[in-house]
Amino acid sequence: MAYSEKVIEHYENPRNVGTLDKNDEHVGTGLVGAPACGDVMRLQIKVSDSGVIEDAKFKTFGCGSAIASSSLATEWLKGKTIDEAEQIKNSMIAEELHLPPVKIHCSVLAEDAIKSAIADFRSKQAAKKALSGQ
Amino acid sequence: MIDPFQTLGVEARFDLDPDDLARRHRDLSRALHPDRYAGAPAAERRLSLSRAIEVNDAFRVLKDPIRRAEALLRRAGVPVGETAEPKPSPDLLMEMMERREELGDARRRKDLAAVHALADAIRLREREVLASMGRQFAASDPDTTKLAAVLPELGELRYLRRFLDEASAIEEELSS
Repeated sequence: MAYSEKVIEHYENPRNVGTLDKNDEHVGTGLVGAPACGDVMRLQIKVSDSGVIEDAKFKTFGCGSAIASSSLATEWLKGKTIDEAEQIKNSMIAEELHLPPVKIHCSVLAEDAIKSAIADFRSKQAAKKALSGQ
Repeated sequence: MIDPFQTLGVEARFDLDPDDLARRHRDLSRALHPDRYAGAPAAERRLSLSRAIEVNDAFRVLKDPIRRAEALLRRAGVPVGETAEPKPSPDLLMEMMERREELGDARRRKDLAAVHALADAIRLREREVLASMGRQFAASDPDTTKLAAVLPELGELRYLRRFLDEASAIEEELSS
């Protein structure tokens, strides 16, 4: 299959590959996978006290489109507030990378990863609040 | 999609005997060989050729446990593929992420023995999953309503396969 230039560019020069400390209370981790292709994607955000995503990292084992989708997602996440980050839709990723219909699910995976990282961060914050309220 | 079990004339079950399957494929391929149809009318030659292609395709599907499972599920009306299957469990994802990272580390260290060891452990898991799937498929015959329960293991099998593909690519790279 022919990959778009943008996919190849992200695949060859992935942005923000790496790990953040998943035990840090400022870090939210999303771990998602596509069972039909055996892909696994980890996306992490580090959120400042003012609610801005100051760092984002990913690690994806999967096809070029899955790597590009998560790489692009981390690029977009940096500097956004949590609320803004929640507005990122898979269709925006698919459009930016010119993903063909059979690869749309890779962008869906990236959106899932963002949502699940945010959910993880929020549940940590809620737990912290509950703890300090006691 | 053509039913590969029907094409090869074998029973639709997961735990097929690989030797039996190969024999069936060989016999059919021989019977459909173009040499046998050299003097036959054009229509018959075309037909035998397209049958031979079907037989080869069916053999490729049935030889591969993942595609064989997919074919069995499709036959029973259980949807498979991207959006139809349940999400992998967090435990499986966590484990596969860790194993893949270990594999990447072993590659960076050029530690062939570590790659072998990781692959061996996953191969063992693969055998267990295959055996369990065989039991599940057998238990759901003829009551196919239980078949959807196989989907999580099918997903796991794909993860294990991906791992093993990656491991053999690294083994090849490191031994050359």
